Amino acid sequence: MKNTLKQVFHSGKFLFGFCIFVVIIATCIIYPIFVTADPLQMIGQGNFFKPGTYVSIEESTLSKSYTLQLPKEFSKLEAVLDIDTRSEIQQFLIKQAGIAESEIDVTDAEALVEQWKANYDPDTKYKGLTTAKRKALKRLNNEINAALKDSGVIIAEKDEEGALAQSKVIKDTDYVNINDVTKKTFILGTDNFGRDVLTELIAATKSSLKIGLLAGTIATAIGLILGLLAGYMGGLADNIIIFITNLFTVIPSFVILILISYSVGDNARGIAMVGIIIGVTSWPWTTRSVRSQVISLRNRDHVNLSKLSGHSMFRIIFTDILPYIASYVVMAFILQISSGILAEAQLSMIGLGPATTKTATLGLMMQWAMTYSAHLNGSWWAYFPVVILIALISFSLNLMNTGLDQVFNPQLRD
Amino acid sequence: MKKNLQKVMSLLCVSALTMSMIAGCGGSTSDTTTTEAPAATEEASTEAPAEETAEETTEEATEEAAEETTEEATEEEATEDTASSDADATPRNETLYEAGQQWGTINDWNPMSANSNNGLALSANEQARELVYETLFMFNSLDGKLYPLLGSEYSWNDDQTELTVTLNPDAKWSDGTQFTAEDVAYTFDTHVKYQSSTGADFSTYIDSIEAVDDTTVVIKAKTDDNFNPLKVSSFLNSVYMMQKAYLQTVEERNGEDADAVKQDTMEDLVHTGPYGPYLSNDQKAVIIRDDNYWGQADSMWGKLPVPKYIAHTIYKDNAAGQVALSQGEVDVCQQFITDVQNLWLEDGLPISTWLDDAPYGACEAIPSMFFNTERPGLDKKEVRRAIAMAVDYEQIIASAMSGQSPTFAEYPRSVVGPTDGERKYVDFDAIADLQWDNADVDGANKLLDDAGIVDTDGDGIREVDGTNLSFKAECPTGWSDWNASMEIVAAAGQNIGIDIQTYFPEASSYYDDMTTCNFDICMWSAPGAGMMNPYSKGMFYFSEEYAKLPSNWSGNFGHYMNDDAEKILKAIPTETDEAKLKEYYTELSKILLDECPAVALMYRPSLFYAVNESVWTNYPAADDGRNIPPTDCTDGYGIAALYDLELVE
Repeated sequence: MKNTLKQVFHSGKFLFGFCIFVVIIATCIIYPIFVTADPLQMIGQGNFFKPGTYVSIEESTLSKSYTLQLPKEFSKLEAVLDIDTRSEIQQFLIKQAGIAESEIDVTDAEALVEQWKANYDPDTKYKGLTTAKRKALKRLNNEINAALKDSGVIIAEKDEEGALAQSKVIKDTDYVNINDVTKKTFILGTDNFGRDVLTELIAATKSSLKIGLLAGTIATAIGLILGLLAGYMGGLADNIIIFITNLFTVIPSFVILILISYSVGDNARGIAMVGIIIGVTSWPWTTRSVRSQVISLRNRDHVNLSKLSGHSMFRIIFTDILPYIASYVVMAFILQISSGILAEAQLSMIGLGPATTKTATLGLMMQWAMTYSAHLNGSWWAYFPVVILIALISFSLNLMNTGLDQVFNPQLRD
Repeated sequence: MKKNLQKVMSLLCVSALTMSMIAGCGGSTSDTTTTEAPAATEEASTEAPAEETAEETTEEATEEAAEETTEEATEEEATEDTASSDADATPRNETLYEAGQQWGTINDWNPMSANSNNGLALSANEQARELVYETLFMFNSLDGKLYPLLGSEYSWNDDQTELTVTLNPDAKWSDGTQFTAEDVAYTFDTHVKYQSSTGADFSTYIDSIEAVDDTTVVIKAKTDDNFNPLKVSSFLNSVYMMQKAYLQTVEERNGEDADAVKQDTMEDLVHTGPYGPYLSNDQKAVIIRDDNYWGQADSMWGKLPVPKYIAHTIYKDNAAGQVALSQGEVDVCQQFITDVQNLWLEDGLPISTWLDDAPYGACEAIPSMFFNTERPGLDKKEVRRAIAMAVDYEQIIASAMSGQSPTFAEYPRSVVGPTDGERKYVDFDAIADLQWDNADVDGANKLLDDAGIVDTDGDGIREVDGTNLSFKAECPTGWSDWNASMEIVAAAGQNIGIDIQTYFPEASSYYDDMTTCNFDICMWSAPGAGMMNPYSKGMFYFSEEYAKLPSNWSGNFGHYMNDDAEKILKAIPTETDEAKLKEYYTELSKILLDECPAVALMYRPSLFYAVNESVWTNYPAADDGRNIPPTDCTDGYGIAALYDLELVE
């Protein structure tokens, strides 16, 4: 046993896969210790807030400010007037304001703005412009005005009569220390419900792993028991079992999975139920391969010797046959876990997974990201980490499987 | 040796696989190039493949079509399908492309049909689609007035029992014959004779329609219990006119059999509208302008609508339509788009909506959740009100609706919508006490505790009469904003010890549940703007008549019965005194807020509206002063926009 383990951990592939898997599990365990927030709490009001740190604006304006004479890299105006904007202004001045092209110098920001201010009136409805363009120019005008404004924003408060009284002026050299204000960091932004993606992702990984583990255990257990019985007993028992197995093999298991999940209904579909449903639909291939392994074992000498010694069937199966296929079963188990996780993701993608408000799963996260077209809005954080994580989990499990295969399969041994 | 053989074999296998994949991809690559060449010149390239969405006939239903597959899948399939559609290409600069109204091959052109999916010609509500068939008058949701179309004037007699309509003498059918008062009368008689849904609906309130002379029609209202002038007047703007001669042909060829007449596809239709059928297959539906359209007479528009064709590509889902809009392949898009402002703010696309800022559209409808008041637990008003109080509406509006709705802080709840024209009917100070704060979980918990509805067995869920309060909140799958809203309602239930599960069945089985009162909590939208509003909204929330229908599509799905409300609903249609009406609607709002048979979840436009100005411009916008509503250039008075469109220079 010790030797086998040693051998196993000498396999580079297994070790690599194992490390990834352990890191994922460890994150799932350690992260919730530090971040105790409910992963399903809807914090952000809106869809898909960008990753980053959010600080309280109210507190920032009220808290102690520090004056920092930071050298400014560029003037505000230069920042607004990038090349595209300048050519847009030029276009406007030529077409709508009728200024000769020679009079416009796009390289001189201030002159350009002066011409713009002289000729653009936000209330005029210019001919030859689309509504979208007109609105864009209006926004540009606002930006230019903001850039031209002197430094300083006035904070005013309403007194009892509702009149505004100036309470503070914020200059462009004013800074706050980020530790002085309330802040919230979303490392991976928020999803369409305004939930913290990272926290949710980790809770989802945890439940996906649970589902995978449960599904894998059930599938392997059913597959193993049926395979052992069919292979060892042969005859009628074998025929019946293999008949049933064939039935399940010819119907695509995903179809059965959909039908069962649909008929179970939303109410019952928790993590455990989804795990069980996946488990009871994905055992057939394990049965078949275990059976063929057992058939090749059952006529070995040591099995015949046990039979002659009058050992019971179960004893023979458990002491003389099972140990020989144990390594294979472990590998099958790993693959079942991996396919269970994928099956959950697929199920949730079509809306047959666990309830959204009660559990987070990787598939549900994908489903809602797609429903709110995160892939069209460029909100990569809502779906890409999920994809990566699903890929990493199945990659690590498959890697472990290949590593084990190399250790146990004499044909592959170098 | 054996090992080597294996290696060689596997190498062979892999290379064979690779080759076949390359071959496969190669084929489709060449496909792509051939189809994209014409795309570059004129034709929209992404024709999404057809998916029969038969059950989604109304546009309420279609605009929320499921987004199950990824965009990649759609595009892949799209390129395969493009080649054949190129033969049907219409010049881009003469074609206005729409999205979000048609979701499959057009199955009929019959205004009497009960299961038509025709989103180009048939949408007979208060803002009817006026492209192919026309109504007597067009409704304008901006000012709440009727504008003349086939009819030029209408007037009531003094006791509101007879409505006299004068028809436009210039109006003609597409076969060149005169549109006459006989046609109007025969249209109504045929609807009634064959008991189409329109016929069944209006025959309750209209006694008869008679042609006085060629251009004068008198609509006689029923004067018994069903005396309802409001409903009678909605005949003007929501019933499509059909030709008497043509209807007789249809009746004859179907042997006057009611089912056969209603299922006639009417592909040889005779219509009055500016457009006629041109092409319909599983990839797109196109209608073509009738250059002899009567509306170019000076008494109507004085000109023809600008686009020669109106085309609707059949997209698989919202995502495909959204991609097409951002690529300029769709001009007018009637779809919910998440964070629509990013299309112009971040992507810099020439796309705009009705308003430049949130809520972006002209919101007038009220998607609401109904409680089934026949279910134990939900028959108690404390339970209903507690759920209503605990819901985080601001979250629904900000995330489920992506900010495309005003909040309830801006427009407090009542039976009327968020437009000024309707809000003047309710005294909001009088109902201020009945409003609740957003997500008032403490208040809801207290309400339940005070009512003695508590958790006695310690499982975290309150009981009534020993049974756990456990409900299913249901709406059709794939209607993304509604699904998300229901999830937020379910989350609220957890906070107040009521177990609420979401349940998203296929649309058809949802309709069964909703129309037969077989649900716990369901969701449907109160009607948008119309002549009958806010009366139709009152009916939607309270009507006992609706509740008694065997298959109820109209409202009061939860069978809430309240005699006071019923009395008011009976009184409103004949009341003309505005002060009295205000009293009535305020009283209805009080009942709605106190008893909570249904709860408004958000406001939204009846039609979503986003336009891309790559090809066409001069679409209606809120600040353009033209008084044309944002109904996608197709519905009600919104069709006026078609006559003002211009090509982008």
